[in-house]
Amino acid sequence: MTLTRRNVLAGASALAASSTLPFAARANDPLGVGFVLIGPVGDFGWSTMHDVGRRRMEEVLGDAVTTTQVEAVAPPDFDRVVNTLARAGNRLIFTTSFSYFQPTLRMAEQFPDVMFENATGTSTRDNLAIYNARFYEGRYVQGVIAAMKSQTKQIGYVASFPVPEVIHAINTVMRGAWSVDPEMRIRVVWVNAWFNPGVEADAARALVDQGCDVLCQHTDSPAPLQLADERGIHGFGQASDMTRFAPNAHLTSSINNWGDYYAARAQAMIDGTWEPADTWGGLESGMFELAPFTNMTPEQASTAENVVAGLRDGSIDPFAGPIVNQAGEQVIAEGESLTDDQIRAMNFFYEGIDVSMPG
Amino acid sequence: MTLAEAIFLTVITASTPLLLAAIGELVVERSGVLNLGVEGMMIMGAASGVAIAIITGSSLLGVVAAIGAGMAMAALFALLTLGLATNQVAAGLSLTIFGLGLSGVIGAPFVGVPRAGIPRIEVPILSDIPVIGAIFFRQDPFVYLSIALVLGVAWFLWRTKAGLVLRACGENPVSAHALGYPVLRIRFLAVLFGGACAGLGGAYLSLVLTPFWTAGMTAGRGWIALAIVVFASWLPWRAMLGAYLFGGLIILQLHAQSAGIRVPSQLLAALPYLLTIVALTVIMALRRGGGQVAPQGLGRPFVPDR
Repeated sequence: MTLTRRNVLAGASALAASSTLPFAARANDPLGVGFVLIGPVGDFGWSTMHDVGRRRMEEVLGDAVTTTQVEAVAPPDFDRVVNTLARAGNRLIFTTSFSYFQPTLRMAEQFPDVMFENATGTSTRDNLAIYNARFYEGRYVQGVIAAMKSQTKQIGYVASFPVPEVIHAINTVMRGAWSVDPEMRIRVVWVNAWFNPGVEADAARALVDQGCDVLCQHTDSPAPLQLADERGIHGFGQASDMTRFAPNAHLTSSINNWGDYYAARAQAMIDGTWEPADTWGGLESGMFELAPFTNMTPEQASTAENVVAGLRDGSIDPFAGPIVNQAGEQVIAEGESLTDDQIRAMNFFYEGIDVSMPG
Repeated sequence: MTLAEAIFLTVITASTPLLLAAIGELVVERSGVLNLGVEGMMIMGAASGVAIAIITGSSLLGVVAAIGAGMAMAALFALLTLGLATNQVAAGLSLTIFGLGLSGVIGAPFVGVPRAGIPRIEVPILSDIPVIGAIFFRQDPFVYLSIALVLGVAWFLWRTKAGLVLRACGENPVSAHALGYPVLRIRFLAVLFGGACAGLGGAYLSLVLTPFWTAGMTAGRGWIALAIVVFASWLPWRAMLGAYLFGGLIILQLHAQSAGIRVPSQLLAALPYLLTIVALTVIMALRRGGGQVAPQGLGRPFVPDR
């Protein structure tokens, strides 16, 4: 069942009136699982893939679960939506955005009997788990491919907000690109939105006009990729397989795959073995995969495949030292590697990346 | 193609939806009606346009549907504000909220359906002229249409009797009524024209600029169009200037970023509104004691006595 936010909020008052509903459902009842999405289910990207994951979970667990999903929830509406979901008897609630992390901390405190899971959050509580995928591994592959495809040696990056997830992705793209060609440069445009097709397209135009011939995007709409197709250059899709939007430009996309994780976590709830885990799965875990390589020569594709294999078995570490920041200061020495917490808190660009943080 | 040319081309495409919506709203406001529902009419145009274009496979029918959707929304607004003489601000705001919601429903089956954009028209011979050719003679039909609309509206409002009557309805509806002009019917036609233009602006977004449908894809452009009308002090040529200025600001900040120049992009996003306030202040200061810039009857419901 998919509910819109309006329906859920309208139902809230009715529920509040009959609020003698028990928090914990009886043992034989199906497990109620709630999902809160930041964008519309039809964003082709981030939120679409969480919806796909939810449906996969329903497929695997069948009658053992019922799910309620509320889409396009702006952070200010978050508390009300979660309140409603919790009071309606959902015992496991997935909040699928970093923007929800702080609000989720608050709601987790308010509903100690409900288990929460926040995507891309940074710390756990007794009833709050966090989960994410190591998308940067895909970014490393993008960098390698971009360096092989680019004639102008310039990568264009349509970026959303200067949060660590995006910053370490930009660093990793360049790490990958430099592994092929140390001459590679990057240009970045911040559009201050996760989703604004018009501005994303204009940002992509600006990057292409300034000489970039491979586009990476950290925003969710297919607009930059479509523009790459129109201009006869190449680009990468975001979150879901975007080949159909740009048959001649598309190189690969990171495809998020949350379904198996969701099924496993719901099963743990049913079995009573749920723990507030911190899950950060890479290519090896199957939490995301790369769409089939397109518009590449067989040699380029096999080079990319080798890099994927190296990331899977750990022989390639995108965050191995030495790492030097833009100011020329050494962050870690050779032989060391950034810890997960350091990666999650990354707020600097590497030396050689000529990009300023938006002010 | 040089970088300057490329920037110019992008500015034109980014400004065109703003200009289309603004020129329509300018006529509406000149007739004395304030329709704050531009965003809602625009997004309905975007949704209906892409929906019909996908169903029929014809971009032209899509554009016609977008115009129709904008006009239907405008007719609803007219029913409330002209027929029932309700508060125009409240009705306009509701129209925006209603349009944003309804467009999501209409567009839902078409989410994720890719289609090719409307191609550019290359004027033979002229498009081969260096620099000017690419900028002026190699555009999509909407760009030409938007410029023709500005010309047409400027001519209509100041060079025809009908235009004079329309402005009279906006300045002093009571006098216009006393002279025997059908104020409400004239305002109704103006509101419909505004709806058609907003729908067209929406179609430009979903059929040309980013040819696919997503909910909320107008992303505040209707509000910028409203600001442009005020910035332009209700004059068509200034509306064109305003649209290109605001469109240009958006594009230049993206280019500045791409070139590695540090710019406060949040401030630049607020700049159109800031400039509108500055422009209004300057115009008012220049006209010290010289009356009002806005049509005198703007926003006030008119009920003819019988």
